[in-house]
Amino acid sequence: MSSAPLLEARELRKNYRNVAALDGVSFTVERGITGLLGPNGAGKSTAIKLFLGLLTPTSGEALVLGESASGNVEVRARMGYMPEHDCLPSGVSASEFLAHMGQISGLPPDAARSRAADTLRHVALDEERYRPIGEYSTGMIQRVKLAQALVHDPAVVFLDEPTAGLDPVGREEMLALIRRAGREFGVSVVLSTHLMGDVETTCDRIIVLEGGRVSESGEVAGFTAESETVFIDVDGGADALVAALSERGLAAAMDGGSIAVQDVGDAEYDHIRDALADAGARLRRLGPRRRRLAEIFRSRR
Amino acid sequence: MNGGNAAGAAGAAGAAGAAGGGDGRVFDLGYRRYAGAREGRARARRALFINGVRTCFGLGRGAWPKALMVLFFGAAMAPAAVLIAVGGLFSDLGGVPDIIDLPGADEYYRNVSPVLLIFAAIIAPELLCPDRREGVIHLYFARPLTAADYVIGRWTAFFAVSLALIYSGQALLLAGLTMAAPEPLEYLRENWLDFPRSLLAGAAVAVITTTIPLAVSAFTPRRAYASVAVIGAFTLTLIIAGALDETLSPWSRLIDAGSVQVYVNDIIFGTYGDSFGDKLPTAAALAWYAVVAVVPAGLLWNRYRRLAE
Repeated sequence: MSSAPLLEARELRKNYRNVAALDGVSFTVERGITGLLGPNGAGKSTAIKLFLGLLTPTSGEALVLGESASGNVEVRARMGYMPEHDCLPSGVSASEFLAHMGQISGLPPDAARSRAADTLRHVALDEERYRPIGEYSTGMIQRVKLAQALVHDPAVVFLDEPTAGLDPVGREEMLALIRRAGREFGVSVVLSTHLMGDVETTCDRIIVLEGGRVSESGEVAGFTAESETVFIDVDGGADALVAALSERGLAAAMDGGSIAVQDVGDAEYDHIRDALADAGARLRRLGPRRRRLAEIFRSRR
Repeated sequence: MNGGNAAGAAGAAGAAGAAGGGDGRVFDLGYRRYAGAREGRARARRALFINGVRTCFGLGRGAWPKALMVLFFGAAMAPAAVLIAVGGLFSDLGGVPDIIDLPGADEYYRNVSPVLLIFAAIIAPELLCPDRREGVIHLYFARPLTAADYVIGRWTAFFAVSLALIYSGQALLLAGLTMAAPEPLEYLRENWLDFPRSLLAGAAVAVITTTIPLAVSAFTPRRAYASVAVIGAFTLTLIIAGALDETLSPWSRLIDAGSVQVYVNDIIFGTYGDSFGDKLPTAAALAWYAVVAVVPAGLLWNRYRRLAE
């Protein structure tokens, strides 16, 4: 296997007329599931299209396994792409379409047909795969879009807003499929989304793009590491407990229906126990809570 | 990883089979990585060509597209069938009387040109418009395929099917004329040049009826608009050329997109000037044919080159 990073952006810039969609960004993406997070217009789709070679960079390089797809389209045989917009033919069956796209990615016909059947089974399309795609529901169409990106067993698959238009159940199913692709299938995933929840529940790493620049990057677990905030829920006596905690030098405050205590280490748990006893509050729940990505990014602004 | 899944699933299935008294087994192999051959752009181009031919014949789609192709082949062969029938009718009487001027191989393309035009107007948009209208083109260009590969794949597919359509009627005509002749061997000896001429002229006609309709179809995602535009391109240029020919010069006849391949057909059969007069030099007709073939091809390629970026 190549020692080059899965993806590498080197001083990557893309201008549309005088507007910089990507402003000289540099980053690498290792194997696994990586979230490309950012608001609309942040440059996520532009970055994906540059890696796929669908756009030519104004300057810099977008490398996949050490090669540029805009200079050598053969590299795309190891890449998959699930666009955000409609991209499926309505008049043919999913089975036939996937077998065709497998061949377009360079697979021999027999292998393409076999991979098409396998891949559609993995995305839970069984008998439906013989029906014309035009008869499919939104959820089924999203699954076929994912399947066509995986049919040729790529090294990396780019998913552009894969949960767009899905209801909550469909969204959870799609995210579960993406997790399977990344963890069980061993296909590296780049997930572009503006939904932090999708990244939080699915990705190993995250790159945050804002205004064409990388504003944050790192392990999702690192961002959402167990915070030093402990939340306490009590039945009555909450005010007395806050006072008791404050007397012991702890930064305690009401946060919604809970009491939030900041900067809690091992020694502070003894103080919390004593404060609960002094306040006579009946403890219902006590524990640290993992901070959500949204809270982290909001707090940094 | 996969082995574990297989063993687990096989074990479960085996137990179920034992309980049910059967010996069937279901093996869930889990996700399997692909370690076989990857044939790159060559395979992609071939797949695109085959897909294009299948699309033309309506394979993998409903009954109507297939029936349409049967109709087109029937219509392309109809003039030949009529000629054979008439020839056969008079063969017992010692040949067709001189008073009946049956068209020969050199006039076949002129006779079937309306069929070729309608065929091209309906089928060419099928090859290009849905890919853009439904967004499939973005999936093609995210794979090991360039804009040139895509255009060449679609063009060669439509060219091959157009050739098959054109040659089917011409082959039937040549076979019929030969068999209907009082002395078939004598007929072959005297007219053997009609065979290579028909092949060459058929290809010359197909180049035009492939390239112009595909180029027109590249500029609209809607099949109906493309069909109307293709028919309009041929009929409007015919009307304009006819009007200008009366008032200006014979050179204005070159505007007619439908007649340039007929000039080339006549040049190939050595009858150029018989029907259109010798107003236009042969070299001019050939040069104009090249322009009519190359300019739409350039527009087609440029359109997809820009789409791929």
